[in-house]
Amino acid sequence: MRQRIGVYICHCGGNISDYVDVEELSNMFHKEDGVVVSKDVMFACADSNQKAMVKDIQQYNLDAIVVASCSPKLHLHTFRAVAARAGLNPNNYVQVNIREQCSWPHSDRPREATVKAAGLIRAGINRVAYSEALDSIEIEVKKAVMVIGAGVSGMKAAIDLARSGNEVYLVEKDYFVGGHITQQEKLFMTGQSGKEIVKKLYEEMKTYKNITVFTGATVEKVTGSLGSFNIEIKVKPRHINGKIDKQTVKRAMDDCQVTVKDAFNEGLTTRKAIYKNYPEALPDVPVVDLEALRDHPDFLEKYKAVINPNEQEETIALLAGSVLVTTGFDNYEPKEGEFGYKHIPNVITLPQLNRLMELSPEKLIYNGKEIKSVAFIYCVGSRQKKGENKYCSRHCCTSTIYTALQLKEKYGKIQNYHLYRDIRTYGKQEILYERASKQGDLFFKYEEKEMPTVEMSGNAISLKVKDYLTGKKEMEITPDLVVLVTGMVARADAPHISGLFKIPIGNDKFFNEIHPKLKPVETVIKGVYIGGTCQGPKNVSESVQSSLAGASKITALLKSGTVMGDPVVARVDADACTWCGKCAEVCDYTAIRETVTEAGKQIAGVNKGVCTGCGICAPVCPVNAIEVAKYTDHEIEAMIDGFAVKVDIRTEEGSAVTEEKEEFVAAHMKEYPQIWKDILATIGTEQKTIPEVVDALNMDPEMVTWHLMTMNKYGVVSPAGTNEKEAYYYYKFK
Amino acid sequence: MAKVNPEFATELTKYGVGDFNACFNCGNCTATCALSTNDSSFPREMIRYTTLGLEDELRSSLKPWECYYCGECSQECPRQANPGELMMTLRRWLTAQYDWTGLSGLLYRSLMFTIAALLLVAAGVFLFARSTGFDAETMLHTGHRFEMLAIGAVFVAIFIPNLLRMWYFTIVKNGVKAPLKHYFTALSELFVHMFTQKRAKDCDNKDNFRWLEHFVLVLSYLSLLFTTVFLNWFGTGSLFIIVLGYVESFLIFVVTTHFVSDRIKKNKALNTFSQPSDWLFVIWLLLMGLTAFAVRLFIDLQLLENNLWMYIIHLTVLAQWALIIVPFGKWTHFLYRSFGLYFAKIKSMQKPA
Repeated sequence: MRQRIGVYICHCGGNISDYVDVEELSNMFHKEDGVVVSKDVMFACADSNQKAMVKDIQQYNLDAIVVASCSPKLHLHTFRAVAARAGLNPNNYVQVNIREQCSWPHSDRPREATVKAAGLIRAGINRVAYSEALDSIEIEVKKAVMVIGAGVSGMKAAIDLARSGNEVYLVEKDYFVGGHITQQEKLFMTGQSGKEIVKKLYEEMKTYKNITVFTGATVEKVTGSLGSFNIEIKVKPRHINGKIDKQTVKRAMDDCQVTVKDAFNEGLTTRKAIYKNYPEALPDVPVVDLEALRDHPDFLEKYKAVINPNEQEETIALLAGSVLVTTGFDNYEPKEGEFGYKHIPNVITLPQLNRLMELSPEKLIYNGKEIKSVAFIYCVGSRQKKGENKYCSRHCCTSTIYTALQLKEKYGKIQNYHLYRDIRTYGKQEILYERASKQGDLFFKYEEKEMPTVEMSGNAISLKVKDYLTGKKEMEITPDLVVLVTGMVARADAPHISGLFKIPIGNDKFFNEIHPKLKPVETVIKGVYIGGTCQGPKNVSESVQSSLAGASKITALLKSGTVMGDPVVARVDADACTWCGKCAEVCDYTAIRETVTEAGKQIAGVNKGVCTGCGICAPVCPVNAIEVAKYTDHEIEAMIDGFAVKVDIRTEEGSAVTEEKEEFVAAHMKEYPQIWKDILATIGTEQKTIPEVVDALNMDPEMVTWHLMTMNKYGVVSPAGTNEKEAYYYYKFK
Repeated sequence: MAKVNPEFATELTKYGVGDFNACFNCGNCTATCALSTNDSSFPREMIRYTTLGLEDELRSSLKPWECYYCGECSQECPRQANPGELMMTLRRWLTAQYDWTGLSGLLYRSLMFTIAALLLVAAGVFLFARSTGFDAETMLHTGHRFEMLAIGAVFVAIFIPNLLRMWYFTIVKNGVKAPLKHYFTALSELFVHMFTQKRAKDCDNKDNFRWLEHFVLVLSYLSLLFTTVFLNWFGTGSLFIIVLGYVESFLIFVVTTHFVSDRIKKNKALNTFSQPSDWLFVIWLLLMGLTAFAVRLFIDLQLLENNLWMYIIHLTVLAQWALIIVPFGKWTHFLYRSFGLYFAKIKSMQKPA
């Protein structure tokens, strides 16, 4: 129990004292048990008062302080610092909010506000009496970061993290780094190739000794928390003899006749069983697809020096202080038959077209026929009012228009048709839209309720669209190729990553940040950050921006080797706890696990680095063995008691409010005596509507309305129901 | 169902200019147009039809004739798609569509063809002059006969069939079933617009002077035509008619000179993108005024006998005018615009109350 408490009640320059009688309150709390100092001050936050408070604490040997002023959002840290300067533990301080929660909302009832303020302050005094001198929790953090996903976002973040002196583990699921952008021949707006960018980043990564790249690797198990995540990854084998020279490997690759569908080319081509995604793919070591070679033992035998079929997958345990998740996205896969997809031969997706373009240097040929006209259907799998993906995928409008420009630039005479819902080429990308329409591309606006249809008519595709730009006229287009502009969806393995790290997933199935504006790359899991498109659709620039933001946050977090945590965490009474596990069940952060005490008793153990002090564990404990520091039962109960004490303050009869009202009425009567008298005379003993008064007095309707409203406000008249047509209120004399 | 035809845009560019592909359908042009109404809104719709190549819709539309090209839409266009000039281009295209001979389209599309036609007519006049042995009396007489003949022939062979085609495209094909009564009631519309260009005054730019000039030009031209053909200006002895002809041809000369200089200066939206057909029309009209004035002057000063070249020039200009520009060139807007508004009126009378 704190016995020497200082109470400071702030005037806030009239913001509080105009309504709450702060002087009366400070006098009242002088007499309170345990209160040594009780003062009312003009501005509690003023430098002079802060100094006086430090002096008081030292002079009167105060062991706790209460400041009754504004919201703790404004000055909690100010007065915590005051306590610390005076040698008092900052947790022996309680802020009481009598401005936002009292004087401002109750300005019409100053006496009652004073009573409420008294209750709030007494609750604060009672609480501070039970306050403990808590120290911040110090968590040691390892200066190592795991970046999951080596796309452009992950690679760029890895470089930044390594440059700041962190050990970086870059984990990539595919055998080659770069992710989706390596599938793009050219990227807007710079026109650079994705492969070029990835090569540059890879070269740069190689110059950092503190970056380790794992390809063909997946995250399997995560334990630990902020500062020391123990992560197990599984690295799949490449089945290539690492000691063999590149020439021999190349010979084996050239000799290989076994082919399978090429996922990198979106299934448009086939690849060999010894392969790289593309010739310059990095790391520069091919992969053997053992599965495909299973029925070709002669080949395996012939190249046994190159192929090592016995290489096993490896599990590696890594320790990271923090994690940056940059796992990226999947392309939406249209349903079979969606706009004729997979039913009609020349219907493909935008990612497929992008691959097709890179694979067709001279002429654009698909299914053996040269393509002369292309129709793009936008928003396939995006902005579905009734479907799963309600969101706009953001990058696709620009992506499509850029592709359309490339089509014309690369192959000359190609007619592009764009069937869109809204064009969202935001920012600088608008230039592309203008360029596309100037080059003769035709744009048709359709609505979700009247979708375009794709059918075969003879040998040609017949695309019908109700064009909202031509008065919903139905148009027929006969393009050689229909391209479905598919959006981004959350990766199929996103739930796996979410499950391991407990990252929340939103309605859109992407990972959720804490706050889109204020904490855009932080997750509710301390030490786990998200960047790039795993968070939601983004273009390349936006992805890199967000992953770099995450990298900076992590660098700042790990910089000093330790992290100071808030002492507001759950704690367990070892004697009372019987380890029923209920608290661990409800904990959203997996901060509670079973532990064994030195005496050998099984109890709940709280990981202070992970616990957020949310308090959900406390009410579920059947034996009341778990509580949250600073929110103990003692403190909360004392607060309730304090608030319930009857306050000896007179709420005078005929309070200021009534006086004020009468004054106002008088003032207005004085100002408009004739008008008010006339209106009242017109109403008389009956009830009248505004138009009736207007007619009777031949006055401006707006004036009558204003006066009647004012008279109603001050209780001179009152509404008495509405007339038959319910168009107007009746007013009557009160 | 309308079939999209992007090739049409390329075809249309032969009739003029316009970056209509830049249009993103905001509709600012329609909003800003003082002549566009709820029942008949343009130019956005016309641009849309053009970019999509909906020829049938365009051919049956009267909207291009409702536009008087103040240029406000082109000025307000956020994409510099130049809707005003597109409307002008569509009027040329429509003229070619109405013309059953197809010569109109050829003249618009090909400058070489136009020059060849002009030279051919000039050669014809020269041959005719030689065949008379360069006899002034015979030439003047035949020239006068030619004028009357040409007017009649052009009317019967070109204008009447072409106007019938226009009626077919815009009324019959549009499914308008108007009782004969409406054709009579709306007649006033036809003549008012034909002679006054009243609607141009509703344009936003309120260019009343330009309207007045055009009005004077129309009246002078028509009355000079009357004076020369029916009052036989070059053969008359009546002082009144002589002076009247002088005044008329002088006015034509003055106004057209101003129009030509405006086109050179490009000081208004409507004369910024002059096509060969525009130049031809206004310059030949100027030459008509000038040469007619000169011929009568030569007659009065008794110089013509020895300076027959003057009359040959006038006759050449006249023949080119009557055989090329009037039936197939820009002259036709005098008819098509007024008939356009006449048909539009008849169409609007169809609407249920």
